[in-house]
Amino acid sequence: MSLVLLYVLATLDGAFCGYRAAAGRSALIDKRRYYRRALLRGAGLAQIAVALVAVILVFLLAFSSAKPDLIDDLRASSRRALLVYGPYAVVALLAFGVRLLPSVDFRSATSVFVFGPLTALRPLVAFAGVVYAILPAAEVQTRLLGIMVLTLMFGVQLWLDRKAALEREASLPANPSI
Amino acid sequence: MSSDNPEISDLIVDFDPESLARLPVSQAAVVERFQRLGNRRAARVVANMPAKDGFLDAQAVDRLLIRVHWEMQRLAEEFHHGRRLRELLLPGIHVLRMRGIGAPIRVVDVGCGTGYAIRWLAMHGALGDDVELIGADYNPALVHEAERLAAIERLRCRFVTANVFRLRQPGHVLFTTGVVHHFRGESLVDFFSEHNRSGAQAFFHSDFQPTPLAPLASWFFHVLRMRTALARHDGVLSVVRAYSAQQLLDAARRGAPGFLCGTYGSRIWNTPMPRVFHTLVGIRPELREGFLDALGWRRHRMGDIR
Repeated sequence: MSLVLLYVLATLDGAFCGYRAAAGRSALIDKRRYYRRALLRGAGLAQIAVALVAVILVFLLAFSSAKPDLIDDLRASSRRALLVYGPYAVVALLAFGVRLLPSVDFRSATSVFVFGPLTALRPLVAFAGVVYAILPAAEVQTRLLGIMVLTLMFGVQLWLDRKAALEREASLPANPSI
Repeated sequence: MSSDNPEISDLIVDFDPESLARLPVSQAAVVERFQRLGNRRAARVVANMPAKDGFLDAQAVDRLLIRVHWEMQRLAEEFHHGRRLRELLLPGIHVLRMRGIGAPIRVVDVGCGTGYAIRWLAMHGALGDDVELIGADYNPALVHEAERLAAIERLRCRFVTANVFRLRQPGHVLFTTGVVHHFRGESLVDFFSEHNRSGAQAFFHSDFQPTPLAPLASWFFHVLRMRTALARHDGVLSVVRAYSAQQLLDAARRGAPGFLCGTYGSRIWNTPMPRVFHTLVGIRPELREGFLDALGWRRHRMGDIR
């Protein structure tokens, strides 16, 4: 169950990374299509990252001499990771709920007081979640997997940001002064 | 940062105020000015800009300014600036119709940049077919970009490189967003004097509201949301330079005695909590009652208008 929840959170995080990378890089008024694409791109990249982790996991399990112990260790680690990522995700989702209210003040307030601080906290939360998950872990494979997950979380954001920056540069007028 | 400091974007472009011709800008002079003011960060930003023969490369500057305006648009989107502006424009236009101002009623964004507000109004404003939306700016690169973006989305609005107060067909309603703090000292009063002389019937000037926490909040917001050094620097400085409601009212009443003035939307609901933006409203005396009536349930957001 905790693995499924972590998968859902990874997909959501990827989608939001896509959104953040795209934000401020299009000057159109109607950006529904633009943001839909950005969300899908982020979620899609998260699937690749998850698949990579899954392949490594299968590989580790296949070559482990103490498979049941490793499985137990991985389960305990994922539960600990959820204790950090879960509340963060709940706050973000609740803020989206507030945005449904038809008030520009409420919507602006969620940007300033919730999404802004959550964006600032994301690297810290990503790091804290993995550290809390793997520090008490008994197996070295669990720790390696945790470090790989953390690297992928930052990697996904960096790649999406770079891609969005390149696309923005390409869509700027080549010679604006004419 | 001090409110006496100019913003980087104020100094890296220059236009002849009469002909609007682009004037070359000496990189060394701008860097030296910032250094003299003790603003090393701004000096560094300008020193890193491409230059040719000692003058800032106009094309690179324009590309940078467009990039910055794209980023700034995000701020307007997050604060739902279009909707807030529409709250004032609808009653303003309504009262002009009631007073028999013939079509088209011209609504002009003064210093429109890449035209976000005008383009938003064209797409979502539903102001009526008798309303003409015009964006005006001194910088032709920003105007071209606004035109390009409006054409992509087939929006019914137009943009001009012009001094708004010299337009052959003057605007009936003028508005700005984040512009008035660029006018320092007496030039703010002069800006309002131009309103007084023009055929404008109403104006709505939105800008940051200076509060003790605003610079810190602005710094945090810009660090998170803005990517270019120029946007981060100027965004935070804009808040530092923003005028209080009283300063705006004093300047507007001195410069434009033909208008009744007040501030709109300074507080969130009826609490002492300030909104990030407030709007200076100016309206010709004969339009006052009709405008206040047309505000409807939002009338309580309008301060004393006199």
